[in-house]
Amino acid sequence: MAERGRYLYAVSRDLDPAALADVPGLAGGRVEVLRHAGLDAVVGEVDLTEYGEEGLRRNLERLDWLEEVARRHDDVVHAVAALGPVAPLRLATICLDDAGVRQRLDEWHAALEQVLDRVQGRREWSVKAFSRSTEPVTASATDQPGSGADYLRRKKEQTLARAAGAEDAARVADGLHMRLSAMSAASRRLPAQDPRLTGHEGTMTLNGAYLVPDEEAEDFLAVVHALQEEHPAAGVDVAGPWPPYSFAMLEQR
Amino acid sequence: MTDAPERTEGRPLGDIGLVDLLDRLLGSGVVLAGDVVISLAGVDLVQVRLHALITSVRAEMAEQAGWHP
Repeated sequence: MAERGRYLYAVSRDLDPAALADVPGLAGGRVEVLRHAGLDAVVGEVDLTEYGEEGLRRNLERLDWLEEVARRHDDVVHAVAALGPVAPLRLATICLDDAGVRQRLDEWHAALEQVLDRVQGRREWSVKAFSRSTEPVTASATDQPGSGADYLRRKKEQTLARAAGAEDAARVADGLHMRLSAMSAASRRLPAQDPRLTGHEGTMTLNGAYLVPDEEAEDFLAVVHALQEEHPAAGVDVAGPWPPYSFAMLEQR
Repeated sequence: MTDAPERTEGRPLGDIGLVDLLDRLLGSGVVLAGDVVISLAGVDLVQVRLHALITSVRAEMAEQAGWHP
């Protein structure tokens, strides 16, 4: 028989295990609640040939596998988020058995309590901004065939204009982030995403995550919409609400 | 880029795109900052280097999506 391990989806507290009974876990398995020291670990059983050291090394390189696991993980986290505060675990956090899970909960106890307090009644919103990097630059009326010196001068002007444009876009993004941070319980700027992955045009100037109290979500969205109107060129995009993925970090030991 | 925000009426939480999800589940968002830790019997056996992982994932996704850098 293949060795089994315990996959940790998330940590919460005061969960009703019955409420998660119908949520499908990885590989069609059940989702269980392991209560320990006032915390509820949401766990499931996985096959260690797939999720052990070797299996993970192999499988994490396969996008279809990674996507399936990430989607399942996210489904479980969403289900927990509907019941109470949730600290989502990083993808593929696996212990050998329940004793290992309890040991983790003991080890992370104070930090997990802090995270759950922080995210209680709050959700994550994503706001992104984009600048078009390919705006046509100064093809003005004076743009007639000229000397090599003229050409070089125009090139230089274009380069300067582009740099100024990028600076403007960065300043706008900073301003957006400041305004939105002021509306949030916590905020983070994540690294800009690669356009080859997302298909977006131009440069992502802001990839912001904002932790917003549920009762203030409407106000937050109103500010986002005001900013969209104020800065039509900034291409402001909003999505959410999501579980507080970006705000569930424990301090690294 | 000026898409209307995703409407999430009738759902407590909105759907999350795969890139946003992986950014959060692998990169910055989740409990342990740094690397994926696979813990067997309380002993950390493997630390998958996330940068290497994400780079390879991105390359593969770009390929699958037909983007050729």
